[in-house]
Amino acid sequence: MKRQRRFPPSSTARTDLTPTLEGVIAVVRSRHPDSDAGLLERAYAEASIWHAGQRRRSGDPYITHCLAVAAIVAELRMPPPVVCAALLHDVEDTACPPQRIADQLGQEVADLIAAVRTAVVSAHPQTGEGAMLASDAAAPSWETAALAIRLADRLHNMRTIAFVAPARRLLKARETFDVFAPAASAVGLETVGRELQDLASAVLQPAVSSYAVTGRLLTVLTLLLPSQQRARWQEEWSADLAALTTRRARTRFTLHVLLGAPRLSMTLRRPASQEQRRRAGRRGWL
Amino acid sequence: MGTPRMTLQTQLVLRALLEDPARQRYGLELCELAGLPSGTIYPILARLEQVGWLESSWEDPAVHEAEGRPRRRFYGITQDGAEAARETLARTYRSRKQPLPGWVSAHQATGGGAS
Repeated sequence: MKRQRRFPPSSTARTDLTPTLEGVIAVVRSRHPDSDAGLLERAYAEASIWHAGQRRRSGDPYITHCLAVAAIVAELRMPPPVVCAALLHDVEDTACPPQRIADQLGQEVADLIAAVRTAVVSAHPQTGEGAMLASDAAAPSWETAALAIRLADRLHNMRTIAFVAPARRLLKARETFDVFAPAASAVGLETVGRELQDLASAVLQPAVSSYAVTGRLLTVLTLLLPSQQRARWQEEWSADLAALTTRRARTRFTLHVLLGAPRLSMTLRRPASQEQRRRAGRRGWL
Repeated sequence: MGTPRMTLQTQLVLRALLEDPARQRYGLELCELAGLPSGTIYPILARLEQVGWLESSWEDPAVHEAEGRPRRRFYGITQDGAEAARETLARTYRSRKQPLPGWVSAHQATGGGAS
């Protein structure tokens, strides 16, 4: 006998930290007591359908990301349609037909999802909304709502960045540090901004000690090469180095490049061919 | 042009490239395919490129930008390189009286051998 008409909790692969739909609804209700939980449940159902079978890099079902982003947005006191859009912010990447979200959840949610895509995240917002957001989050402007979802998306991605490949991780951390964290603070979301900044620096700091040291050593090694060739090998080695995932593999790679550098240097300085051998022969080297 | 010295390592690199001559590979990939360390691969690649057996070029920006990583240098074996490499490797094998591996047969066939 069905006691509750609820959507499958699918708690199997979730960690305790992953928010639940119930949790998200509770947060929304605490800020907007008269809000319709049905809308959120329908949005969750849509997200479950269209993200079914998809997984995060961590191996978690994709829906955990939707819930996490929705929870962050709910904590920012955003109204229910914005939380719905957060649940569905990646639905355009799925097989979901374009009109479906508008039909199921209303045009407002559909438009918000589209706005998230086009939202410009800038460290120095031009709009001048500034610190309005935090105080006025219950009735945010369109742009503010879209931006909040984008920032929440980035925040959860940064919280789970450990599962991303090293090169991409650095890129994302750099962008988060330079653009997203300042953007969050600029619209009054200081807590989000601070957490983004902390997460990004945690990625960027150790990079200084391991990844960049091997990279720097490679730069020094190119000094052995003919000057007009240095830039190419430096770039080629860095790219190959970046493809290695463990510190140990990177160290070994760099060490071997070090051992091979004199030979490479010799090869590059050799004008390639018999002509040179002839010349050498004439001088009696062979 | 000239011919590269057929060291064992050079042979391994050429064999790795001849497995799929149409495919471009980057240095680290060839390290794995040939089972050679990085320091050995790059001088060989540089030498083979010098003699015209290989060509190298930077990766298509669309690909590496989409994957969010630095661009790689890709190496492909040239038409001349593939022929010369097959010939040289076949000679090396014959001199050692070993059975010819599959990828040499392409060269043999052009030489007129049936079957």
